[in-house]
Amino acid sequence: MAVAVTMARMKLAILRHSLKGDKGAMMASGGTLGLVLAAGTIYLAFLEGDWLAAALAVWMLGWIIGPVFSGGGDETLRPEFFSLMGLPPWRLAAGLLVSAFVGVAPVIGLIALAGLVVAATSPVNALVAVPAMVLQLAVFVLLSKVAVALLGIALRSRAGAIGAGVLNGVVLAFLGQAWVFAVAFGQGAQIPEFVRYLPSGWGLLSVQGDYLALAAMVVLIALLLAAWAGLLTRRAGANRPSTRGRRPMRARNGREAVVAKELRTWSRDLVRNHQLTFALAYGVFFAGAPLVLGWTDMLPWAAPIFIIMAAAMTSNLYGTDGTSLWLALMTPGSSDVRGRQLAWLVTVGPVAVLVAVAFTLITGGPWAVILTATAALLGGGAGLVPLISVYALVPSTDPQKRGGNPLRTSEEDGALTGLAYLMMVLVALTGAPAIAVAALYGWWGVAAGLATGALCYWGLGLLADRRLAAQGPELLHLMRTGRRPESAKPSSFKLPDMPKSHRAIVVICWSLGAIPLIPQGVVAAVMVSNGQLRHSWFLATYMEPGLRWPVAIGFILVGLTMYGTGLWLPHRAKKKAAAG
Amino acid sequence: MTAALEIKGLVKTFGDKTAVDHVDLTVPQGSFYGLVGQNGAGKTTTLSMAVGLLRPDSGAAWIFGSDVWSDPGKAKQLVGVLPDGLAMPERLTGREVLTYLGLLRGLSKEVVAERAEELLSVLELDSAEKTLVIEYSTGMRKKIALATALLHAPKLLVLDEPFEAVDPVSAATIKTILRGFVAGGGSIVLSSHVMALVEQLCDHVGVIDKGRVAAAGTLDEVRGTATLEDRFVELVGSGTTATKGLSWL
Repeated sequence: MAVAVTMARMKLAILRHSLKGDKGAMMASGGTLGLVLAAGTIYLAFLEGDWLAAALAVWMLGWIIGPVFSGGGDETLRPEFFSLMGLPPWRLAAGLLVSAFVGVAPVIGLIALAGLVVAATSPVNALVAVPAMVLQLAVFVLLSKVAVALLGIALRSRAGAIGAGVLNGVVLAFLGQAWVFAVAFGQGAQIPEFVRYLPSGWGLLSVQGDYLALAAMVVLIALLLAAWAGLLTRRAGANRPSTRGRRPMRARNGREAVVAKELRTWSRDLVRNHQLTFALAYGVFFAGAPLVLGWTDMLPWAAPIFIIMAAAMTSNLYGTDGTSLWLALMTPGSSDVRGRQLAWLVTVGPVAVLVAVAFTLITGGPWAVILTATAALLGGGAGLVPLISVYALVPSTDPQKRGGNPLRTSEEDGALTGLAYLMMVLVALTGAPAIAVAALYGWWGVAAGLATGALCYWGLGLLADRRLAAQGPELLHLMRTGRRPESAKPSSFKLPDMPKSHRAIVVICWSLGAIPLIPQGVVAAVMVSNGQLRHSWFLATYMEPGLRWPVAIGFILVGLTMYGTGLWLPHRAKKKAAAG
Repeated sequence: MTAALEIKGLVKTFGDKTAVDHVDLTVPQGSFYGLVGQNGAGKTTTLSMAVGLLRPDSGAAWIFGSDVWSDPGKAKQLVGVLPDGLAMPERLTGREVLTYLGLLRGLSKEVVAERAEELLSVLELDSAEKTLVIEYSTGMRKKIALATALLHAPKLLVLDEPFEAVDPVSAATIKTILRGFVAGGGSIVLSSHVMALVEQLCDHVGVIDKGRVAAAGTLDEVRGTATLEDRFVELVGSGTTATKGLSWL
């Protein structure tokens, strides 16, 4: 146990130090959100039916999928730190497991699992709930660790990277479209029975008197621990050097050379393989999910969703390449931005067009709108990706210095997530005018889409190029040190000086506030009041009669709160700066 | 004659710390100039500002008379740079990096192919034809970085710690290349904290300490009758560190 206790104390010490800085604020806001969700879970425990089992299944998915989108999960203590200590793998894994319980997320998980006490069917079972909570939490934490470790190994081979990308895209798309399945399964307001028997439901089974589930959790924990210990030894191992044949570079000038370099990076960097496959799988399955209800209208939108997602995943284009920017700085006038734009278009464009055409053929239309959206968004994405990545660069770890967790490209994972959301909204906005034209005037929209797409490609690329020429050394310094130089001029649309976590929250509030407020709130309320029920993807219209208005109003309130927060935080920071 | 590299009054402050404090240096044409100093003395910061990779708070730098900051196109054409610890296009092979960079520099495809071939073979990187730069060892990374610095036939080389982590055989190759470069009329500035190496290679020396120039001139002017190492310790050292031992050994 000595190893485990030392590791737990190390983690505690690191957490104590990070509480002071930006990370503290991030932890506090994340923790608050987690507490609200935990309270909701406990509330569900009071309801009849399998609501708690369903909620716990969602928690389990969160533990498994979460790290994929937050830079590889909790890496406060990295296995590499201990590689010279000569610990046997299982002791290392056990120590890391104990230290993994120290932190905000496990505490929140434990609070949510207090629902098991509520759900206990007798006083004895309420006592059983205490070990059940701990074991259930251990199952969640270990599943999370094993998933990250497996993905880390998968990302060492192309097949693994692509497979993981598809899997993640499918799971996230299904989570995003959960209402489809809720409606499909919930015809009789029933949670399907298998949910109770998932590992997430074993704690619940044991407090309902099925003590065998308790033993099953112990066995599962032992198995997962063994698996994780095995995976940790593989993580520390060196990457295989590549021996594949290389296609010769046929570029004839500077711009073609940039394109050639970028295309090779797209195809050889397994993290980028993973991101693009993820974006494609997400688009296809998100748009395809409503087919479960027999609703086909969303299917052709797979291509536009793919483009938006691909732009979001690549929004830190310059940041991911790290300090290799110095080469562009040493060769002024080398059209680095234009080359990257073209490469992005060549990588994303053909797949997007293929998906757009194929899926629209299946549904038989609407051709004009989909082709318009594809053209406009491709141009918008190719323009915005370099622009955003030079204006809102998130410094990343240089590729050759990254650790054993390939998902962790930056220490500022919150900012990366915020940037991705911002990109989604901005790219969608570049498509909006042309799509509006297509909705009103049909085929004229395609011309408008080509025009706005070309304009975005040219104009936004020009802005990015100018910014790079003017602020290149500052960007390089930022990547080198992770700090913004003080002498740099503040950019025109810069938020006031505030902690990065606050900045990320503002970005998220602004970029996502519209979704609850407008479609799920206002539009759904109008539909409910008009009696248009079970309408496409407006959740309130699917609710029981008594819940329709509360759901719509609830969404409006969530949206307004998000915009309120987005306004209030910068306002407060400005006031603070003025006072200081 | 115009200096190969002229630095006047460079200042750079990071937060409260002044990393480079009014540094003036003149690197005459045809000289092999060694910049020495302890870790954190400001060598890398000075060189980064001199070649246009870091914007100075004040001061200026000229490469063969072209201002690095107001006329970067001209100045950067004349200089080849090997920075310390910066990334390369990591997913390319050595040959691809050279092709990419040569085309970026505006060389023709044929010239690039010819020079890349020669550089790879002289630096003994041609056996790793299929290896991506990200998989290179530290020594190989130095060699490919040196190749990118030499590719466009610059008149001045600015090399930050070019011999760090390079094996003795490769180091000998690099020394031969660098000596040949100077013999052919080129100028070199290199930073190092290995005094013997600087003494062996360079004809001019600048000593940087705590962001300032402690001494500069020809090798003989700076070291006088002592060795460069003794002179260096005299200039920058506190004098007592060498006598401290470790209590448990």
